[in-house]
Amino acid sequence: MSKVVILSLFALAILALSAFNKADLPFDRNLSEVLIENGDPKPKHFVNAIDLDAVKRGEELVKFGKTTGPNGEKSGYISKYYKCTSCHNTVREDLDLANINQDERLNYAIQNNIPYLPASTLWGMVNKETWYNDDYVKKYGDLVKPAQHNLEEAIQLCAVECSQGKALNEWEMESVVHYLWSLQMKMSDLGLMPNEQEMLDIDSIGSKEKIALIKSKYMQKSPATFVDAPANKKKGYDYEGRPELGKAIYALACQHCHRPNGESDVVLDNAKTTFKWLENHLNNNDQLSFYQAIRYGTWADAGHREYMPRYTQEKMSDQQVEDLRAYIESQIK
Amino acid sequence: MKLTIAIFACILSISAFAQTEGVYQTFYETRLINGHTVEMTNEGISKFIISHRFGTVNGGLYNLFGLDNSTIRIGLDYGVTNWLNIGVARNSFEKTYDGFVKARFLQQSTGDKAIPISLVGYSSMAISTLKNPTREVEFSERINYAHQLLIARKFHDRFSLQLMPSLIHRNLVLTNVEKNDVLALGAGFKFKVFKRLSINGEYYYVLPDQLAAQYQNSASLGFAIETKGHIFQIHLSNSRGMIEKFFISETTGVLEDGDIHIGFNITRDFKMKGKKSR
Repeated sequence: MSKVVILSLFALAILALSAFNKADLPFDRNLSEVLIENGDPKPKHFVNAIDLDAVKRGEELVKFGKTTGPNGEKSGYISKYYKCTSCHNTVREDLDLANINQDERLNYAIQNNIPYLPASTLWGMVNKETWYNDDYVKKYGDLVKPAQHNLEEAIQLCAVECSQGKALNEWEMESVVHYLWSLQMKMSDLGLMPNEQEMLDIDSIGSKEKIALIKSKYMQKSPATFVDAPANKKKGYDYEGRPELGKAIYALACQHCHRPNGESDVVLDNAKTTFKWLENHLNNNDQLSFYQAIRYGTWADAGHREYMPRYTQEKMSDQQVEDLRAYIESQIK
Repeated sequence: MKLTIAIFACILSISAFAQTEGVYQTFYETRLINGHTVEMTNEGISKFIISHRFGTVNGGLYNLFGLDNSTIRIGLDYGVTNWLNIGVARNSFEKTYDGFVKARFLQQSTGDKAIPISLVGYSSMAISTLKNPTREVEFSERINYAHQLLIARKFHDRFSLQLMPSLIHRNLVLTNVEKNDVLALGAGFKFKVFKRLSINGEYYYVLPDQLAAQYQNSASLGFAIETKGHIFQIHLSNSRGMIEKFFISETTGVLEDGDIHIGFNITRDFKMKGKKSR
């Protein structure tokens, strides 16, 4: 019994020591703090101190769609149709934060059983500098203008347009922003090389260089490139499909929403009739074709506001679309 | 102490890996043809149902095979929870209002806690408001009740079967030979032809010596098409009524004589509120 106590105390001591060390080392600090310390301006959505109650409320809003406010009032559902997590993960999605690599992202999703979703993860969202980037203007027009450089406006756009819901009130917005700050990047997430850490530690470079070095390690925006469905759907994109990866995409992407009682009322199960149905509509030019649905999304109708957002090139490569097709076709042979 | 910890750890690890998966879409809709299925309207969803039954097809071209003689039921169901539904409707047939409560007790599932069937209880009340020109009808005489157990199993992606033991209680019957309480056993099936198209059938066998001689067992056959937000069901039946009292205990159509009614149900779901679970 005494051995157990001693071992437990030893383990606790190691944990406490490691926590103390982490807090002390610059590469384990919050990314935003280090940037601000070096003269980078505070973002508009910056919060001086994260309120844990607000974080809890924000997490409930993001994951369950509603919560109870600071004065006991119910928030109501932000959207009748979606949660934020219908399209966004809340965990890291990429090993390499500085480059887009869809296959690495898919492998990371497979290894960690993370959904492979059309929207960017909320993890590190507060560390981005622009939102609704690039081609999203094609979809939302002028609505993206206030949202591109203001996280709170981006959240409102997402709540009202993307999720077909209501605008957040003041405390709801505050809660979500606090929750997002709880998902901010740490210096240790950047994968700095030892020499790079040393440069930051011993002040061998100036503040501007430090900021540049840090920002070279992650993307300050999530690029968004809208791509067309293949001109010849029967032929598809010019890639050889990899059905084993397609199986993962089917499970981690399609079935995230197309599940029983899911966001979509079209259930994509693993039955042969389902794969046959998908194959039968492959060449269609309407939303039943999976090429059309993936590349253009579907649309909200009166009385049926649920729709599917498109997968941009960054979120699903042409190769991966062919992987998905190869898996579907392999299931009906 | 060590044993307790070991047992606790075992239970934790077992429960961590325990997985049970509910079987879904045993049927496409909450209605098979005339009667209910074990499918429930999900929490926060309002289901608007319009059903028509026409006259008999043996009326020929003059009545456009019964289309000149239409009855309608307009209904609204609501998913209070995923396991509890309520609904109200108005039928033009005998100007009848009906309401129901439906609760799921068991859901077929696979995995560690497998359940072989889905079990749903269903109770409804119907009030006829048709005026009687010959006498004053007491309010209580206008009321009828139906109670059913819906027992279903999805055997395969393509095939599901349902049994419906049923009890109809009519406060008023027209003759002494008819029983106020009528027991029947229904059976129904779904055969999925394609992902979004199925053939459905439904038959109610009324136990002997409960009804007058002219009443028949209800038999219906049709198909259902699933589209975005809608389910279309088109069918043929010897029953004209769309509530249990009518189709179980008062079906008059004789199949051999061609007393077959064309009918359809159209459902449309509206989301009234979100759902907390992902």
